[in-house]
Amino acid sequence: MEITIRIRRQAESGSPDYKSYALDVDPGTTVLDALMRIKGEIDGTLAFRKNCRNAICGSCAMRINGRSALACASRIRDVADARGEILIQPMGNMPVIKDLVVDMTSFWKHLDQVDPYVSTAARRTPEKEFLQTPEQRAAVEQAGNCILCGACYSECNSREVNPNFVGPHALAKAQRVMADNRDDQTAQRHALYNQPEFAWGCTRCFYCNEVCPMGVQPLDQIQKIRHELLTDKATEPNTAMRHRRVMVRQIKESGWLDEARFALQVVGRDFKGLWSLVPLGVRMAAKGKMPLRHRPIENCAQVRDLVEAIQKEDTKS
Amino acid sequence: MIAPPLKYAYYPGCVARGACRELYTSTALITAALGIELVELKSASCCGAGTLKEDSQRLQDAVNARNIALAEEQGLTMLTQCSTCQGVLGAVNDKLRAERGSAYRDEINALLARGGHHYDGSVDVRHLLWILLADVGLDNLRARVRRPLTGLRCGSFYGCYLLRAQAHRRVDDAFNPQSLEKLFEALGATPVYFEGRTKCCGFPLSSYDAPTSFSMAAVRLQDAIDCGADCLVTPCPLCHLNLDARQPEVERQVGRKLGLPVLHLSQLVGLALGLSPEQLGLGRHIVSTRPVLERLGL
Ligand code: SF4
Ligand code: SF4
Ligand code: SF4
Ligand code: SF4
Ligand code: FES
Repeated sequence: MEITIRIRRQAESGSPDYKSYALDVDPGTTVLDALMRIKGEIDGTLAFRKNCRNAICGSCAMRINGRSALACASRIRDVADARGEILIQPMGNMPVIKDLVVDMTSFWKHLDQVDPYVSTAARRTPEKEFLQTPEQRAAVEQAGNCILCGACYSECNSREVNPNFVGPHALAKAQRVMADNRDDQTAQRHALYNQPEFAWGCTRCFYCNEVCPMGVQPLDQIQKIRHELLTDKATEPNTAMRHRRVMVRQIKESGWLDEARFALQVVGRDFKGLWSLVPLGVRMAAKGKMPLRHRPIENCAQVRDLVEAIQKEDTKS
Repeated sequence: MIAPPLKYAYYPGCVARGACRELYTSTALITAALGIELVELKSASCCGAGTLKEDSQRLQDAVNARNIALAEEQGLTMLTQCSTCQGVLGAVNDKLRAERGSAYRDEINALLARGGHHYDGSVDVRHLLWILLADVGLDNLRARVRRPLTGLRCGSFYGCYLLRAQAHRRVDDAFNPQSLEKLFEALGATPVYFEGRTKCCGFPLSSYDAPTSFSMAAVRLQDAIDCGADCLVTPCPLCHLNLDARQPEVERQVGRKLGLPVLHLSQLVGLALGLSPEQLGLGRHIVSTRPVLERLGL
């Protein structure tokens, strides 16, 4: 089939520019095959990363029609539009070095920040290998499939505005090492991950789950870390945790959220927090957006009983 | 052909009954005008906005299985009007449906039995936006427009949970949704495309990391303004809270006057159906909606 690939080209310090390349390809070939043909047959200056051509090494992530994906795992027939056009851009959230090659320094630095190694006290390996049961292995299976391609990081909405947020790949790895029965740094990890730049920095935009080519589903792993933090009595409480606790408490009390009281109980716990809420409160009250009365839902006792029954079972298990 | 009666089990969500009452009122008005009957689920609880599972997966599943069971008892499709409610309730429904016959689903049902409920997986959970497009239909909607929104340039703001929380049974493409844009055109308005329309508003961070939350809202608002939008339209009252109610703080943080009105989906439909701005609560917003009304000659 005849296709046109539009590529965002950028020299090392120049401004970006789009160039189109026409090719005749088999619809079953991959975007990476097409890029290699462009480089080989049309324009040898085109820069992109690749290695395995088989969705293993994680080198070839780029934006294909605005969505971060592996070029070697994307087939032409699946990504070309009705006119045979495909748009190729470098990944986001990282500066471009040249064309489709981005500088992944922050990606690796952030990974390193979660201490991404299974750690035994002396960091010594035993004489024989560590054995794991199938169940122990299953706990780390999903996050263990990460190939560090960067697709999730490229689309992460929190990382877009907060350069200190470690990102979905790092937190998926954090879950993977934390859930590993051979790791004995649980307490240290809980303290490390219980920070705004770590487990609580994610805004739950779902982009990482959407684009991950390996089914790692980083957001799901992040919510598992949060679960561990919330259930560990030793975790230093913070506003994010208070948010979760007040939510459950209010559902038990009236069945639904009383926003004004919610804000007071979560944010307004100290003078600074309270002060930050004053302008919002005044503004909301002036527009009738702060209801004075909060009536419980019908059959509220039933919801409370349900929540309490689950809480009882959860503490047992 | 006589249209079948449109009747739904209505799950209003917390925000529409609290800070965004104007959404509750507008939905009541437009559904009445379109001949849609709503049976409000008065004993439904908060869905937990996606954070209950951080406490306990079972809690998130059971509380929402109960909410869905209430709709099943009415034999009606559940109608939501909040992207987050839709994503949370829809995903629980998808998951428990797939678990038919599993020990886990039995366990959830044993918990629901305490209150005399049972989850069957027999009803769908659908957002008002999808119902307007698929059940009411764009032609039908177009025929009922009394005040075409000609010249109004609307930027859509879908909300993460509407586009991506349900892995299956998608209505829109997560990267190139069209539902709102189609609706704008049916009402006579002009869609404005901007990059942030599918992204996050920052609401989930607002209670504990306000600066990051406001930065995120700022990028979205400025992006929409720079692409020429007169207003944003959202099917998510939580997005509304962060983009409208917090806009003064966002402006202060970025040092730029924004003043971009944010309308609830139901308000936009209401305007096109000929309802008055007062009826639709357009005076209750933090950011003045005057520019929208002026554009429509009101
Ligand atoms: S989590 Fe998925 S998207 Fe992110 S780096 Fe790993 S494999 Fe790539
Ligand atoms: S869900 Fe969280 S970690 Fe994943 S991309 Fe969005 S903000 Fe980043
Ligand atoms: S998403 Fe929000 S408004 Fe909707 S029910 Fe859940 S908590 Fe309430
Ligand atoms: S955009 Fe923000 S409030 Fe809206 S659904 Fe996403 S997270 Fe929720
Ligand atoms: S080339 Fe290795 S993952 Fe694509």
